[in-house]
Amino acid sequence: MSAVITIWKKELRVYAVNPTAYAFLAVFLFLSGLFFYLGITLTAEASLRVLASNLAIAELFILPMLTMRHFAEERRQGTLEMLLTSPISPFSLVIGKWLASLTLCALMFLGTGILPVILAYYGNPDWGVVTTTYLGLFLAAGAFCAAGLFSSSLLDDQLAAGLIGILLLLPFWLVSRAEALVGDDLAEKLQPFGVLAHLDSFGRGVLDSADIYYFLGMSLAFLFLTYRSLESRRWR
Amino acid sequence: MAVTQTRRRFAAGSNAFLVSVFVVAAICVGYLLVDLHRVRLDLSADQGSVLLEDTRSKLALLDREGKPVVITAFSGQRGKKESYFKDRALEDLLDELDYASQVVEVHFVDFDKDRLTAEKLGVTEYSTVVVQRGEARVDIKDRELFHHTGKGDDRHLDFLGEQAVNRAFAQLMAENKRIVYVLVGHGELDPDNHDLDGLSEVAAVLGQDDYELKRLDLVRQTDSPVPRVPDDASAVAVLRPKVQIPPLEEDLLLAYLSGGGSMLFAVDPGTPVPNLVGRLGVAIPAGRVLDKVLVFPYPDRPVPRYKSHPITKDLADDSLVTVVSDVAPVQAAVPPVEGVRSTTVLETSRDGWIDRGGEVKNGQGRFEPEIDQAGPAQMAIALDVTPDSGLVKKKAARVLVIGDSDVFTNGILAEGPGNASFALNTFRWLVGDEDRISVVGRPTSVRRLALSAEDGEQIRWLALGLGPLLIVVLGAGVWASRRGR
Amino acid sequence: MIEVRGLSKAYGPRLALDDVTFSVAKGEIMGFLGPNGAGKTTTMRILTGFLPASSGVATVAGFDVFEDPYSVRERVGYLPETPPLYPELSVGGYLEFCAELRRIPRAQRAGRVGATMERVGLRGWERRLLGSLSKGYRQRVGLAQAILHDPPVLILDEPTSGLDPAQVAGIRELVLSLAGTHTVILSTHILSEVEALCPRIVMVNRGKLVAQGSLDEVRALAPGGAWTYVEVKGIDGPHLGRMPGVELVEPLATVDGWSAWRVRSAGDPREALAARAAAGDFQLRALERRMPTLEEAFIAIVGREGVAA
Repeated sequence: MSAVITIWKKELRVYAVNPTAYAFLAVFLFLSGLFFYLGITLTAEASLRVLASNLAIAELFILPMLTMRHFAEERRQGTLEMLLTSPISPFSLVIGKWLASLTLCALMFLGTGILPVILAYYGNPDWGVVTTTYLGLFLAAGAFCAAGLFSSSLLDDQLAAGLIGILLLLPFWLVSRAEALVGDDLAEKLQPFGVLAHLDSFGRGVLDSADIYYFLGMSLAFLFLTYRSLESRRWR
Repeated sequence: MAVTQTRRRFAAGSNAFLVSVFVVAAICVGYLLVDLHRVRLDLSADQGSVLLEDTRSKLALLDREGKPVVITAFSGQRGKKESYFKDRALEDLLDELDYASQVVEVHFVDFDKDRLTAEKLGVTEYSTVVVQRGEARVDIKDRELFHHTGKGDDRHLDFLGEQAVNRAFAQLMAENKRIVYVLVGHGELDPDNHDLDGLSEVAAVLGQDDYELKRLDLVRQTDSPVPRVPDDASAVAVLRPKVQIPPLEEDLLLAYLSGGGSMLFAVDPGTPVPNLVGRLGVAIPAGRVLDKVLVFPYPDRPVPRYKSHPITKDLADDSLVTVVSDVAPVQAAVPPVEGVRSTTVLETSRDGWIDRGGEVKNGQGRFEPEIDQAGPAQMAIALDVTPDSGLVKKKAARVLVIGDSDVFTNGILAEGPGNASFALNTFRWLVGDEDRISVVGRPTSVRRLALSAEDGEQIRWLALGLGPLLIVVLGAGVWASRRGR
Repeated sequence: MIEVRGLSKAYGPRLALDDVTFSVAKGEIMGFLGPNGAGKTTTMRILTGFLPASSGVATVAGFDVFEDPYSVRERVGYLPETPPLYPELSVGGYLEFCAELRRIPRAQRAGRVGATMERVGLRGWERRLLGSLSKGYRQRVGLAQAILHDPPVLILDEPTSGLDPAQVAGIRELVLSLAGTHTVILSTHILSEVEALCPRIVMVNRGKLVAQGSLDEVRALAPGGAWTYVEVKGIDGPHLGRMPGVELVEPLATVDGWSAWRVRSAGDPREALAARAAAGDFQLRALERRMPTLEEAFIAIVGREGVAA
């Protein structure tokens, strides 16, 4: 556990001075502001629903770019060698890095905190729904960060890792929009497996065990694969 | 040494790959299991997203019977401001129903785009929901799904879709139809008549709601040795007899009513009034009802105001006009007959009156105080007869007396936007299905955000500018503090 | 302290290490020699547990690196070829992180970091960012990271590569100060460094162990072994060659009539030669017994192996 915290602290210190992180953070906040503004002007409703579904897609593109440096950069700097020869397990390393990315996500969401405040000033939002919406976005962020870490563990090149991370996640989005690709019937069957289908309930104020499991399971699967990938580099 | 080698090979190579595949597969299987046994917790203020206990028990019943239920919802009118909310509310509801049941199959159909489906189901209105189970089918109309409450800025759109679907389920599951007997033999309106003065349209509308209109000839009964109102009668309608009903038949009707029956009486100005109406304490004075306040596009007739009653509630909420033609005044006796509680359902405005002759041209009369009676004049009265009173024995009885029979006829049903609902609601109330009318559970309301152009401008700057600006400032700060280190 | 038996490592079909066996005693400084790509880094990575061996056994401080990697890692300080630094962090922050990574108790961390920085000559550099450090200082920080937790075993992969002579001297001094208390494996291809630091040498080439032993033992592996350097006047090669005990003479240089020779002989010929010079047979101004240099041994061994393979 203390090893996880050690890694977590270090990653946050590195994030804190990483210009790329700031750039993506700014982009994320700008996009969330934009979706929010468009959402409330189009629907005239005091809700984050339009924002949430769009922001999830934005996350899908931004988070792999935020996590791409983790293992790719460590390997390039030679620091991975130090970490893997120190008395911490690769699993602590993966979890520490994942938690650090999640912390950054939490800060990102904190930055969007102004939006519900705006809603409360001009209207009367349902705070239960706002809470579950954020929870859903956060769980999705966890899954996306895990996928980003996985692709980062596969590739030596940062940018390639980021792009592969996005590619890994795209199917989870595209199944929600698959009508044009695979026809209506199959698309309808695929839809329940998409990210958006699982964010829907959160956007309505409902916590659904299947939705929560979906994102936690996705995180877990990718984290496990990351761990295996780190191990396998050593076994090769 | 040998052990080391084996372990190495196990940890490495294809085995490691298999382990990864296995773990990921296990997570996926876990998902399928969790998906089968969902636990849902609604944290929203309306609790609108989780189905009512009652709906869920009905769904469980449907599941047990295993017969597929197909729900097809049609989108709202595109471009209309409310359609966004309406579509979303319907889609959300469909999702919930889909989650909660194995037999329910849901489709959301774009009314404008998917004309084929709309035509196949014979749906002609936006935001209609069709619930089908085998041959049986219930249509839910926009006005049953959405209610407007409040005025101006406080105007809310409430969604009552779940309640409506709940009722539809109840109807679909009901084993036997509600049978409404329409008395014939005295020149009454006829449910099998397709002419303008027939009731075939009303019969069709009620049929969709599983009410069946049957003719009842008390004199020439074939299936009963002793003349009587059949036991399966949910209600009996006496719709504008042209001649006085013979005492024998009146007695049969009274016998039915005192057993806790439900009756509808419709008369027109000048037609004979059944004695039973008088015994219930309702008088039909001479004259016809007129109103000074006229509603476009009905220049020649009074437009009834809805009084507070289950029959008129959703009509009043949606401001749907029920069209009448020539209306006889209906008056409750003062003091009322013991055990009878009367409620006005339809009446004129304050400027209405009972016209007793004088100048009348195209129905537009003039109030003449010396002969006419000042309004508001009642046009329809609902009666609740309590049990163990003089009239009724064990069970309560319900009666509606309306001074216009045309309100139910084919000719006017198509003309009046509210008439079909009025007819439907009337029978629902009479039969005791008011839960089909009244609101069950809390509606889901839309939280509107009323923004002025100025507000919008402010929000744009706050939402788009503040966050990124903060980050840029923070980033610049960090950069400056690290410069030259 | 370090025991390596029959260690092999294959990267696919290529054998990076082929049946290497050696051991390092406690407190010893071992020079690990070999040309680039000989398998030095692979061996070190196996010893630190970063890479697994394909076969063979390696134990460090009594723990098998495969069976018990965490016990090994706790006892090893490792400086990889490129110092593992995070350019974003400051020197102090980085070492603090390493101290945490090495599970140094919180109370001791600051003291240990300070002492280590003092030791590698980084005093006053706490706030500098690693990204802005010169090569020499990066190396120092890397070294600090390796010795921070005072490990009994240190594995240093080319700690002086790319440093200027003053920096090299500093690092050498530091490594020498570790001798006795720490077991050190130091890989390098700078032979003078090994001669200066390492009493014991292990030499690998193309994945195979080609020589090991004390410095002198390895030097002696150069063809011909020890020889005698003479500068004489008034005698030519053939005459010199006929002196008692002398087997072979090779001319080295001739300056101002003085000629320098490499004299090879069965025993030590210096006494005899001095006697003859004193007898006036020739003039003698330099007479020195010389060992072959490590470089000679290295080139000889590696070259020989290279030809053989």
